[in-house]
Amino acid sequence: MPHTRLRLVGDDAYPDWEAVYQDNVDRVYGMMFAKVGNRADAEDLTAEVFLAALGPLRVSATVGEVRAYLSATARTVLAGHWRRHYGREITMLAELPEVPAPVPDDDVDGDPPVPAGAAAAAEAAELLSGLPEKYGQVLRLRFLQGYSVRDTAAALGISVSNAKVLQHRALRRAAQLMEEVAP
Amino acid sequence: MSERRVNRFVSDLLRGRRPKRFRVEDPEAAEMRAAITLRAARPGAGTPREEFVTDLRRRLAEHVASQDEAGPDAAGPELAQPIPFRRPGELSRRRMVATTGIAAGAAAIVGAGAEHLIDGPAPEPPLAGSGPEQTLEPNVGQWRTVAASADLPEGGAAGFDLGTVAGFVARQNGSVEAVSAMCTHLGCKLALNRPAQRLDCPCHNTSFALGGQLLRHQLPIAPPPLPKFHVREENGTVQVFAPPEA
Repeated sequence: MPHTRLRLVGDDAYPDWEAVYQDNVDRVYGMMFAKVGNRADAEDLTAEVFLAALGPLRVSATVGEVRAYLSATARTVLAGHWRRHYGREITMLAELPEVPAPVPDDDVDGDPPVPAGAAAAAEAAELLSGLPEKYGQVLRLRFLQGYSVRDTAAALGISVSNAKVLQHRALRRAAQLMEEVAP
Repeated sequence: MSERRVNRFVSDLLRGRRPKRFRVEDPEAAEMRAAITLRAARPGAGTPREEFVTDLRRRLAEHVASQDEAGPDAAGPELAQPIPFRRPGELSRRRMVATTGIAAGAAAIVGAGAEHLIDGPAPEPPLAGSGPEQTLEPNVGQWRTVAASADLPEGGAAGFDLGTVAGFVARQNGSVEAVSAMCTHLGCKLALNRPAQRLDCPCHNTSFALGGQLLRHQLPIAPPPLPKFHVREENGTVQVFAPPEA
């Protein structure tokens, strides 16, 4: 059993709940933001996960077990959020999004190997690449780059009202594309 | 109609606002998913604010302290006897919280006495009580009107009694929630304490937030949060999903 290492690997235990929190808050928040798309809800749901999970956690639980438990709690919390406020589940956390325990040799200090935003960026890039160019452009400007409608219209050389229409059509097409890809 | 709701959802996401709640229909769900996927891909989107991380840490410290006071039975549902995060020689959690709590305004501990004050007076968002949050899903149910939307402004709350079930609806932070009116301890009927924005049990000084979360109690075992109802707004009315009239 490794005792002297300070960084956390799958078999180690956390010293206290604060360590659990510090090591996982970014990951849980990232998971939630990817599924709700706004800060207010992502923050509330992150809080709900930790508040719900802290009681049942045992001090002897390994880092891997704690992360798995937090992920399972996050799935339940997200499902509850959608059902409660929207009557149905709009997005779901996959059953096994678990980041594998860091490989001791090349992991420097316990950071999750995959940044939270990377998966979301890859998914969006794939979605956009399947759209006609104009649709991809308007969605990229509005959603990824945070352009206002006005700035988007200027960048694309179209009127504001045309930019709005283009955005709606593009989003609808993107939604269809996602439906086709989804199982 | 449906298109307008999705558009509002999308524009809320783009403006960084909490989206409005509504009952989602099929075609809406797909567009919402696409919008969320795209919005989440904005650089930095998945990184929490520093203030949030700090504040949640403080709330967790208070939560851990309240669980300590409530005893092991009041802890989460997953393990009958959760082993607290404490090792011999470490500061007790309560002591640790007392120190961190002073800086943060130790509302959760001050004046608690024999009471288990689960949450400080700050109204939003309440801490989780013990036990899972449940939503009532009757085998046979229907949408039943409990209030006019106009009678339930932001921050407003109202009681309802449908014969088969009774509860309270409240609009907070733009969303409407409905909870049972029965205390989860022994079933006494809760009263709406409007000034304090909470539901009080007349029997044993237990209080719940309008969202159903346990706020305080004097019981050996913390009662679970109030069951929720599915709730929606339709044609200017607030409706809950409840069993039909007996």
